[in-house]
Amino acid sequence: MMTIHYYTNWFSSIEKFADRSIRPFYWVANIPSRIGEWADLSSTDRSVIEKENLRLKQESLIYRGQLQRMAELAAENLRLRLLLNATELLTDSILVTEVIGVSPSSKSHTLSIDRGLKDGVYVGQPILDAEGLMGQIISVFENHSVALLITDNTHAIPVQVLRNGMRSIAEGTSDYNNLQLRFLSTTADIRVGDELVSSGLGGRFPPGYPVGSVLSIGKIPGENFIEVNVRPAAEIDRSKHLLLVFTSQDGSRNGNSQ
Amino acid sequence: MRYALTVIFSLMLALVLQLIPVSADWLPWKPNFLLLMVIGWVIFKPSQWGIGFAASVGLLADLVFRSPLGLHVFLFVFIGAAPYLLSGWLIYFNVIHRCFFVFILIIFSELLGNFMYSVWGVPVDYRDVPWGAISSAVIWPFMDKFLVNVHNNRR
Repeated sequence: MMTIHYYTNWFSSIEKFADRSIRPFYWVANIPSRIGEWADLSSTDRSVIEKENLRLKQESLIYRGQLQRMAELAAENLRLRLLLNATELLTDSILVTEVIGVSPSSKSHTLSIDRGLKDGVYVGQPILDAEGLMGQIISVFENHSVALLITDNTHAIPVQVLRNGMRSIAEGTSDYNNLQLRFLSTTADIRVGDELVSSGLGGRFPPGYPVGSVLSIGKIPGENFIEVNVRPAAEIDRSKHLLLVFTSQDGSRNGNSQ
Repeated sequence: MRYALTVIFSLMLALVLQLIPVSADWLPWKPNFLLLMVIGWVIFKPSQWGIGFAASVGLLADLVFRSPLGLHVFLFVFIGAAPYLLSGWLIYFNVIHRCFFVFILIIFSELLGNFMYSVWGVPVDYRDVPWGAISSAVIWPFMDKFLVNVHNNRR
């Protein structure tokens, strides 16, 4: 039974049925955290909320200013690309979503989100939080979806070092705080603290989104490769609100942001 | 009928407790509520809730944990077999002894589960094995009291 499940998709309909059936239990299981959030909000002093509101307004102003600069740079980049007869870069739009369930096992890193087919979600769609890439959608239902996180041991993502553009593959290790770069030669130009972003190779993840930063580099005795541990940029086990990324390639959500 | 409803309700409660999200740091400490509930019912009513029951809950656990189908079926049947065979003695033990028995069973279950995951190529950390067993042993007295009450009312 395990072998059949591992090597075939014969049980996928059972899994989908179970996903649908278990959803109400996820809803009930989230009640304590919702009550906690509500109690937290209710017990917060008015002056604290006002201060936070002011801080958020200031932050919003700063980001809007930076966005204007970004728009200018994007337009300039587009003009230069046209001059070079290069292809136009794809524009991404996003959809905000909320986590409604987390896999209870430390061996399988998946989570359920409250967006599904009716919102245009599709299998393979990237998701991210405010800090970086989180994973991709693996199952879509009418009103919810299941995402595989980048830290799952079956997941791999093409990345590049921001400093020098060196490409590699970051693999999950079943540890929420660790990814690994494999088959990097001992002469590879990589340092502790280097930022890694998605390279866009393979076409699954859009390029340029933060994946993580190099935490440690170790030499494996007797091997020609080094072991590079990466701390994910996203708060994999903490983020509650996520973003679904739609590239213009998908055609379902062109340039709209929610 | 009421007895069967109690079992179903307890399983649903175990499922909800299993699904409550916790941060990664606390995940190894999370007890396997479904397995605990199986052990409990098998100890107190092995003739009605035996190996077939353990296999059914194992299948449910496979679907909830997104593990290869059959992994938890095997695990629950294997672990459930011990209380099934020893239930005649276990119901006369006091709660501390049953607590120790559950602790040992959970340790075995974690070791076996980790071994089977490692067969499928999943990286496992054997250092996390005792934490789930300790937390399971801590909550067992509450579960034990509930099961003893149900068992006595049934008589």
